[in-house]
Amino acid sequence: MKDPADVAGRLDAVDYLVDDGLAMALFLALRLGKPLLLEGEPGVGKTAAAKALARALDTPFIRLQCYEGLTAGEALYEWNYQRQLLHIRLAEARGATVGDADLFTADFLQERPILRAVRHDGPTPPVLLIDEIDRADDEFEALLFEFLGEAAITVPELGTFAATRPPVVVLTSNRSRDLHDALRRRCLYHWIEFPAPDRAAAIVRRAVPGAGEPLIQDVTVFIGKVRRLDLDKAPGLAETIDWVSALAALGATTLAHEDVLRTIGTIAKTPDDRILVAEAVHRETRP
Amino acid sequence: MLRGVDRAAFAVAFAARLRRAGLPAGLSETGDLIRALDAGPPDSRTTLYWTARVTLARRHADLAVFDRVFAAVFDDTPPLPLTRPAAPPNRRDDTVHVPVPAGGDDTIDGGGLPWATLPPPVAADDTGADSGLAVPDLRPSELAALAERPFEELDETQTAALGAMLAEALTRWPRRRTRKHAVDPRGRRVSLRATIARARRTGWEAVDVVRERPVRRPRRVVLLCDLSASMSAQAAACLQLMRAFARVADAEAFGFATTLTRLTPALRHVSATEAVAQASAAVGDRFGGTRIAANLGAVLDSHHGNALRGGVVIIASDGWDSAPPEAMTAVMRRLRRRAYTVIWLNPRAGTPGFAPRVAAMAAALPFCDLLLPAATFQDLLDLAGHLRDLSSRGSRGRVVPSS
Repeated sequence: MKDPADVAGRLDAVDYLVDDGLAMALFLALRLGKPLLLEGEPGVGKTAAAKALARALDTPFIRLQCYEGLTAGEALYEWNYQRQLLHIRLAEARGATVGDADLFTADFLQERPILRAVRHDGPTPPVLLIDEIDRADDEFEALLFEFLGEAAITVPELGTFAATRPPVVVLTSNRSRDLHDALRRRCLYHWIEFPAPDRAAAIVRRAVPGAGEPLIQDVTVFIGKVRRLDLDKAPGLAETIDWVSALAALGATTLAHEDVLRTIGTIAKTPDDRILVAEAVHRETRP
Repeated sequence: MLRGVDRAAFAVAFAARLRRAGLPAGLSETGDLIRALDAGPPDSRTTLYWTARVTLARRHADLAVFDRVFAAVFDDTPPLPLTRPAAPPNRRDDTVHVPVPAGGDDTIDGGGLPWATLPPPVAADDTGADSGLAVPDLRPSELAALAERPFEELDETQTAALGAMLAEALTRWPRRRTRKHAVDPRGRRVSLRATIARARRTGWEAVDVVRERPVRRPRRVVLLCDLSASMSAQAAACLQLMRAFARVADAEAFGFATTLTRLTPALRHVSATEAVAQASAAVGDRFGGTRIAANLGAVLDSHHGNALRGGVVIIASDGWDSAPPEAMTAVMRRLRRRAYTVIWLNPRAGTPGFAPRVAAMAAALPFCDLLLPAATFQDLLDLAGHLRDLSSRGSRGRVVPSS
């Protein structure tokens, strides 16, 4: 990829539309070989960006979903203890002796997403998505530093694995917890804004090819209005796509359709929101 | 753009300017910008903007500062022609000069020098409460007596001393079970990793089985303090309470009157005086009217709303709200669903014959686990005691407030 426009074009080819900012962020992440931290409202396409990048680069996509209590054993590597125990029993049966060197070899090493990304030996570096890093405990961030800084992982018993081609790393965060400065320092940063209605329409058009143009226009303009209401959870782009898919599947061509109210669960996710959105639909569809 | 510009000098000067404006752009960010400019030379203002923003700004809160500084630097700059008649190679006066404020109030500390020096030692006249903390030799009994006095009778030094005492009293509050496991002989789960490591000592025969159990951690505390006109007497004590929690319990603290202000970063400051001063300055509409329901809703809607999940929520307010009580009921219902415990501190609750007659207070009460008085520091110390009780009880049974 030679410049941000090229990145945007390649992503366009896999049906993921980016604006100038995200194109630049992804281009620099690829060119400088640094991890990219993406933040933005839920449902704005952070995870989809990493997936689309993997498709555009035609390279494996490795995902690490973060959660509370995530440890090195689930994110980096783990020893296969059961196999080790079996190995010990077999050696015992043979009357052989077992040492460190026999038990802690690559045979007993179980790769987890990050080590898999480091040891990947394909023609192109894989895309590693570390999703919702804010859900992991803050101590977990420190585990990532060696990997994010040097694209290497040290297994004390075996030595340091360094990636021949550093993987493309994308981190996402929903800001439920403030990330440590040391983590931010190691990453490039981009905040994805919620797109304006016309861009949202273009994105929905790509995501739901079967939907009619009037429906897409109506829905994206309507979502723009709904987002200004006092909702518990404002609908994001993902919800918009879900709603258009639902309406298209039911054969709706405009918002004035009896199924609109029945599919409202795709964008309103609490009882209070349901009422507010239903009122908004009434206002919108009443001539 | 930026032809014939020393990229390193540009990046360093721009980062320095951002730092002065409060955006913490360090050496690694600057290095990233230089390499990014090298990777894709910017051909337009937009490209330059995105290159610089992606590499220099690392958090959402910094984006506004970045935009402001970027506009200040580049708004007046005439666009450079993309193709230019060949200039003599040694002429460098077409360099874009990044305006760096010279002199001015920024460099007063250094006496106008471009490097930082220690501040002149003459400024010894500030006798803030920090230095004052050591000055009054208050014995514990005197502090205890002070704690009984209403907030409005206390001066700044006493408030600060009592605030420090409060921070010490905060030792335990409700905990929750996390998904993290740690080695513990009382645990049920066998820790294979630790067992194998132990077996190494016994010729790989697993003689000792090492067990682990879930780690328990203190629940997140979120404080919401009313800093409006009707609470002006309690404001200083509220700030001390929030500071104590922010530093000891890693709590999120918000102050509100008509609008909501997040005070956590300001209150974490090491110096008590500085923290309280910064927090007071941050609340722009202090002592204005109150919109409790709207502000509680704002916390729930913001990305900090997730901090309330399973947390201990402490609201300090007298319950005078300008919105109808239905709004309060709706927002408290939401808050109740999200929080583990809701504690309401009301400065008037300690007075004899108190009844929650204020409409908003009455509407909020069914959703509160505890309604506690907050007129003296002793009341706040009692709050610490109540939190201890909650933590030892374990279950989340409701406590009827003792009237």
